[in-house]
Amino acid sequence: MNDVLHSTDTIAAQATPAGRGGVGIIRISGKKANDIALQLIQQQKYLQPRFAHFQKFYDNNQDVIDEGLVLFFPGPHSFTGEDVIELQGHGGPVVINSLLNRVLNLGARMANPGEFSERAFLNDKLDLAQAEAIADLIDSASEQAARCAIRSLNGAFSDHINVLVEQVINLRLYVEAAIDFPEEEIDFLADGKVEGDLQSIIDQLDIVFKEANRGVLLKEGMKVVLAGRPNAGKSSLLNALAGRDTAIVTDIAGTTRDVLREHIHIDGMPLHITDTAGLRESPDAIEKEGIRRAWTEIKDADRVLLLVDAADVQESDIKTLWPDFFAELPDLNKVIVVRNKIDKTDERSGVSELNSSHVINDVNEALSIELPTIRLSAKHGEGVDELREYLKKAMGYQSAVEGGFTARQRHLEALKQARYYLGIGQTQLTDNGAGELLAEDLRMTQNHLSEITGEFTPDDLLGRIFSSFCIGK
Amino acid sequence: MDYPKRYGVVVIGGGHAGCEAALASARMGVETLLLTHNIETLGQMSCNPAIGGIGKSHLVKEIDALGGVMARATDKAGIQYRVLNSRKGPAVRATRAQADRILYKAAVRHTLENQTCLDIFQQSADDLIMEGEKARGVITNMGVRFHSDTVVITAGTFLGGLIHIGLESHSGGRAGDPPSIALAQRLREMPFRVDRLKTGTPPRIDARSVDFSKMEEQPGDNITPVMSFWGDGSDQPEQVSCYITHTNEKTHDIIRAGLDRSPMYTGVIEGIGPRYCPSIEDKIHRFADKNSHQIFIEPEGLTTHELYPNGISTSLPFDVQLDLVHSMVGLENAHITRPGYAIEYDYFNPQDLLHSLETKFVEGLYFAGQINGTTGYEEAGAQGLLAGLNAALRSQEKEAWTPRRDEAYLGVLVDDLISMGTKEPYRMFTSRAEYRLILREDNADIRLTAKGRELGLINDTIWQQFSKKKEAIEQETQRMKDTWVQPDTETANKLNEFIERPLAREYSLMELMRRPELDYKKIAEITGENSVTGVVAEQVEIAAKYEGYISRQLDDIEKLKRNESMKLPTDMDYDKVKGLSNEVKQKLVECKPETLGQASRIQGVTPAAVSLLLVSLKKHRGAKPLATVSK
Repeated sequence: MNDVLHSTDTIAAQATPAGRGGVGIIRISGKKANDIALQLIQQQKYLQPRFAHFQKFYDNNQDVIDEGLVLFFPGPHSFTGEDVIELQGHGGPVVINSLLNRVLNLGARMANPGEFSERAFLNDKLDLAQAEAIADLIDSASEQAARCAIRSLNGAFSDHINVLVEQVINLRLYVEAAIDFPEEEIDFLADGKVEGDLQSIIDQLDIVFKEANRGVLLKEGMKVVLAGRPNAGKSSLLNALAGRDTAIVTDIAGTTRDVLREHIHIDGMPLHITDTAGLRESPDAIEKEGIRRAWTEIKDADRVLLLVDAADVQESDIKTLWPDFFAELPDLNKVIVVRNKIDKTDERSGVSELNSSHVINDVNEALSIELPTIRLSAKHGEGVDELREYLKKAMGYQSAVEGGFTARQRHLEALKQARYYLGIGQTQLTDNGAGELLAEDLRMTQNHLSEITGEFTPDDLLGRIFSSFCIGK
Repeated sequence: MDYPKRYGVVVIGGGHAGCEAALASARMGVETLLLTHNIETLGQMSCNPAIGGIGKSHLVKEIDALGGVMARATDKAGIQYRVLNSRKGPAVRATRAQADRILYKAAVRHTLENQTCLDIFQQSADDLIMEGEKARGVITNMGVRFHSDTVVITAGTFLGGLIHIGLESHSGGRAGDPPSIALAQRLREMPFRVDRLKTGTPPRIDARSVDFSKMEEQPGDNITPVMSFWGDGSDQPEQVSCYITHTNEKTHDIIRAGLDRSPMYTGVIEGIGPRYCPSIEDKIHRFADKNSHQIFIEPEGLTTHELYPNGISTSLPFDVQLDLVHSMVGLENAHITRPGYAIEYDYFNPQDLLHSLETKFVEGLYFAGQINGTTGYEEAGAQGLLAGLNAALRSQEKEAWTPRRDEAYLGVLVDDLISMGTKEPYRMFTSRAEYRLILREDNADIRLTAKGRELGLINDTIWQQFSKKKEAIEQETQRMKDTWVQPDTETANKLNEFIERPLAREYSLMELMRRPELDYKKIAEITGENSVTGVVAEQVEIAAKYEGYISRQLDDIEKLKRNESMKLPTDMDYDKVKGLSNEVKQKLVECKPETLGQASRIQGVTPAAVSLLLVSLKKHRGAKPLATVSK
């Protein structure tokens, strides 16, 4: 019974946090791990187990991607109990990205959140007492991944993908209807419609893929939302955070007029900062819409900085000031209160944090205890370093689970697979006139796209057919 | 009174599900009783006079591959055959036959009456004999108690059946037959989730009043296909044509004017009807921009003048029916022999069933057919066969069997119903099968007959016939793989005339057959080697053409099997599985999946949730001996 637990596929993922670390590690687990490593380093010989080999890593054009260490841990004496390869390269996102891409091209698949630990557990490498921890990890990792996925789908990329998916569905609609309802005088496979639509989807996917590859459409990093009244000093804080970082400040395309996004790096770690409209009841329709969008941003955030003017608001008043705000927050643990303008009060700069292991469960609790609070002056710079340290720490934690970087990798991989099947399907239709094989390739295309956009079942498809065509002999 | 003979299986209902159930159980050597309220209507086709079609013929061939009666009865009754999608590739090809109702019914009855281990008794079933939580027999209307190990209920539309014509309604199981009120009542007392569905049927027409010269003739295929793997078509009756006419603006006006007296549009009918087989009033209403619909005029049989106008199923009042029929070309003077009607009936949420079609609440009680929310003779027959064989297996104290989704459309049908339930009458389509390229109608025997033999469903004659075919396919495949063509030989030059890229290296015949320009026949002509029958050649050719796709699907199936083999305990406490969202928990509790694979197919159950279940299973297995997990 135990052997059915063994997975058939080989998985890979970055094991070190995203960002510019000194060393980046990619871990591969499964039957093909060793083969993949040998192809990567272009060696035929056997890798000595548990021995650090210094090697060059090659891409498929024989160019060197990076050089670093390869370690081989044959199963069952490995972390997962399967054959495991560790590649230790240089930590920059570009290098690690290329290396992981190469590994995926050589036949591994992107690991699901928590999958390494899951395999370790299933292969008896972790004891029973750790089962709960594994469950927690899978749970939080997949939640995090889902959030990252949603985030990287903001704006232009999301629009492109949604349009594409809609077109794939539409095409499948025609192909499947022609197959399942041949007596309905709707043979789209024969009349050239399908061929034209297919070419158009392929062209568009090629464009999206190119842009995504260039990083135009996807941004990585933790998302921090600034919330608070207009005069609380959000812009100053934004400038303070960005200004000290000599690296990058960019406006990202797709900025709405009421939600301002900034992309900055703190010590090489990417961060999205979003400035939102003030949250208050308003009869004004435009402002209402702004507030609605602000809430969307807040719910999607990793951290919410709730800015207050220290001169206006007593520390003890914060929660009573905005009970609705706390009641509507999906996760109270991501809020940190920022008391700005301490230059006008006598408060000392610094962070007062909760016991880090404490988890806030409900609104009442949040209202009854001290929230993590940072006192600073955005104008004079006191306390801003502490905030940066705080954000870095938060970021380090989340990257260890699954960062935007991985989410992007997943999407690109899904797009690549989708493109591959569309290409094959096109050949089947044009060269062989095999509509049923095109249908199969379109099914695979959609399966891969659904990793980005969510499930679409055969029943959903049939539903669409019945509402689009008058079926029924 | 207690009936003196004790049965292994009692089947209630003599429709397509009931007949296949009773025959399957009896073929396995289990003493079986078929209880029907009317022997004259055994195997009755109560809706359209046709068997097969897309997705459906796949089921018919699977029933046939497991020794069932449907395909063979069709070949005795088929009066017009066509292969649909014949130009679209073997995976989606489907045979469809118009069947003479009388011949069909007679063929089924003949098979039933000559089946050993099978008794038939005419009497309606009113109640079940229960032993604690187990079904142990049936009590008939006049109080006869039939004791048995198991009971299969195939009540069709008879449970709480309500017939609508216009705003008039009356209870009935089918036009002219009484419904099963007592049994419905009894089942409603059990904890099954019950709901209502609706289906409909068109008015029938007298052929003597129809002008066929104004309609388009639709003859059958030139080479008449055969439905059964085990027949050669020699028993097929005379072949006739169908005809096609169309609705028009006048028809649509008549229908629109009658909608205020339509039970569907006045809220009288609450049950949900099938989206793919809408009534004519539905078509006009929902697709208002379409000004014409094609209507197939199908003969009901060789010895009757009755016609079945396929496409105008309706529950409009009779006067509207008459007007709308008369508005169509060729039907201007048509005489209606029976009015169309809609019928509402009870069905039981199939999520309360196991994959063997045994109910989760009552051991030894099986449901099959329309009672499970499906529609169609083929869907019913397939379920009947499965329920019958599993009831027989239980009677023999053997383990239940159900094909997986990658083995049969029957597997897809049952798994869809049980994992997702259904809100409308469920009909099979090829797009429901993710392994469509493997689940073809042409290879149903290759997929299932060996299993059927193992279960005791296949007799010696069929088994020998099958073994011979299978061996021939294997031999021919091997020969094609082992025969090589060298470039620049006479054979290569002949081949080069047909193909785009001339042969540059040696190729096996199997490899050559993958080229779009070549097929088995052409290669056989060129090489001069052709010793096998058409069906054998077909299998070899399909294997070559689909090769890449099939091996990809086989890889997927390997992965699927891991999750399919992970049994979830029926008493699994999902509240205790850490990390599952409430939504997922609720869905799992509702469906109570039998395996991890089934759980993964429930909508909304994420891959992460499946991982959590896997971890939880492993945890329990670590703590307790294996036996507590696999029930």
